[in-house]
Amino acid sequence: MQLQSLQRWMPLIVLAGLCLVIGIIEPRFLTIDNLIRVAASSAMPLVVALGVTFVIVMGSIDLSIEGSLAFSAAVVVSFLSGPAGIGIDLGLFAVVVAIISAALFGALIGYLHVQMQIPSFMASLGMGFVGIGIATLLLGGERVPVDSEAIRAIALSRFMNVPFSVYLAFAMFGLAWFIQNHTVLGRHIMALGGGEELAAQNGVNIKRTRILAFTIAGFYFGTGAVLVSAKLGAASTLIGNGQLFAAISAVVVGGTALTGGNGGVINTLVGVAIVMVLSNGMIIIGLPTYLQQGVLGAAIIVAVLLNMHGRTPQLVK
Amino acid sequence: MSPRSFYEAAKLNRRRFLIGSALGAGTLIVPGAGLRAAFAAEDVALASSIRSLSNAFHVAWNKGGEAFAQSIGAPHSALITEGNSEKGVADIRAFLAQNGAKSVLGVDPNDAPDARPIAEAVSEAGGFVTTVWNKPDDLHPWDFGDNYVAHMSFDGNPAGVDTANALFESMGGSGGIVALGGIPSNTPAIQRKAGLMKAIEDNGNIELLDFQDADWDATKANNIVSAWVTRFGSDIKGIWAANDGMAIGALEALRAEGLAGQILVTGIDGTKDAITAVKNGEMAATVDWDPSWIGGIALSLSYHAATGKLTPSSEPKEHREFYANGVTITQADVEEYWKTNIESSPPAPDWNDLWGRFDRQI
Repeated sequence: MQLQSLQRWMPLIVLAGLCLVIGIIEPRFLTIDNLIRVAASSAMPLVVALGVTFVIVMGSIDLSIEGSLAFSAAVVVSFLSGPAGIGIDLGLFAVVVAIISAALFGALIGYLHVQMQIPSFMASLGMGFVGIGIATLLLGGERVPVDSEAIRAIALSRFMNVPFSVYLAFAMFGLAWFIQNHTVLGRHIMALGGGEELAAQNGVNIKRTRILAFTIAGFYFGTGAVLVSAKLGAASTLIGNGQLFAAISAVVVGGTALTGGNGGVINTLVGVAIVMVLSNGMIIIGLPTYLQQGVLGAAIIVAVLLNMHGRTPQLVK
Repeated sequence: MSPRSFYEAAKLNRRRFLIGSALGAGTLIVPGAGLRAAFAAEDVALASSIRSLSNAFHVAWNKGGEAFAQSIGAPHSALITEGNSEKGVADIRAFLAQNGAKSVLGVDPNDAPDARPIAEAVSEAGGFVTTVWNKPDDLHPWDFGDNYVAHMSFDGNPAGVDTANALFESMGGSGGIVALGGIPSNTPAIQRKAGLMKAIEDNGNIELLDFQDADWDATKANNIVSAWVTRFGSDIKGIWAANDGMAIGALEALRAEGLAGQILVTGIDGTKDAITAVKNGEMAATVDWDPSWIGGIALSLSYHAATGKLTPSSEPKEHREFYANGVTITQADVEEYWKTNIESSPPAPDWNDLWGRFDRQI
């Protein structure tokens, strides 16, 4: 029992240890300004990772992240004035349209997965390519500027010296935590990850729950796309590049098992923090660039090992 | 990554274009050029093999290919490799099977080794090909007679030197800089970095505070620069980036800190947002490779060989494996560039001036 509770706290202990070690080597890491920078860098990865957490907890996987991000970012600039605009400038409201479109996109992935009985990795991978395709069509392959001061302000304006994107990411975290712990849907998603048959026998509507989980994921990817296009000031088909691996590794590092049924959004928050602290810290202490990838890779493997401890190695395939 | 739908769209466009050019040939029949164009259209089939239509570079390449095709009144198709070497080679084979000796190709091989099977297939079919960027060092156009017309590339080294010098000048000639590199194993990343290093060495008063590989990625560049601001603070006087995507990522990180315009950034590639940033005084320089010209001139080289106007085998070797020049855009000349290239559509390049941008033999 004690070992189990230690394991529960492991990701947080790792995070604290990392901050301490980096802070000792380079005290500037722990300055308020830098911690705000780390938080600002973490906003988008956190939101995206929160989305995929719901799917992973359920025991499935969503590989559409890069395509979903590209698709949603393309929708944002389609509803602004600018070269990719369709003629309707919605200003900040374009964000709402993009997030709703992303949620529907996610729902479609869930629908294909459940109704057509396509494994989630395949349905989401395929739809990810569809997302890239739509983004290519909407953007014409260009990097299209986000022509809205209001949207840019999400990343560029600050309240109490902290960018709005950080508040938004925390609000999204709060929402995810609420869905996970205080709604029937949240409990059903967790139950599916624990054992689908058992959940079905207990009256969980499996199909509906699965579709809704993918919808939530899409909703979060859409929000992530808004954050990244606000930050980079542009939307492009390549905007999601590398985010699939980043999000899934953050979820795993946080202690959520890919087998589903345990972990959750708090683990993801810690996981994203670990990954972002590590990448910020490695630059601040001046680690050579070729070592950084290796350290990050090793960290992921260690995290998985720490998580596996005490569990029957069912899924070592 | 680019989906099939795009390939279909490209085919559709080609059909539309064919109908359009048939109508156009009718109206142009009085001036002599129209006659020649109508004749040439039956004579050759043009194709550009490129990676995708999801990035600005290859989109512009494709537009240049279309523009050249239009200038001679011949059909043009875009063969999209989707970053897949097998698909790239297979699509070219299919195109050759369909068009045989009428095939005129401009190819950006997905990976260097692909150039060999492509060159072999084209010469077997009797078509003509010009490759750009990638080919193995031991593969030479002159080993294939006239069918492998030429290989053109761009040396990242002078681009690295020029952008670095523009950056140093903006800093008053001395101080600390940080630099963002591409994927470390990519040839352009290696060349551009070497150019930067040479410029630093030649200058003597510049300190390279840190060099990080951001893998051509804007988001990664953004995060690295914000960490650098913590680490070096006001010691950073300038940021050099190996491409415009990373330069924009860096610029946005500076903007979030309220430092944009104070610390200047340089990039390479000449994307529109980078040129805009040079114009706004937030970037010191970029280099325009003019991908639209690349797409057109690669086809033009092959076309000149196909129509017998150029006999590759009697050209000097330096004309068959060469580096072409990019155009460095700095704050001093950005206004003029903007007027001629962005505000008004740039004048159509002279597609018959095959060696106009010749730099040197590879």
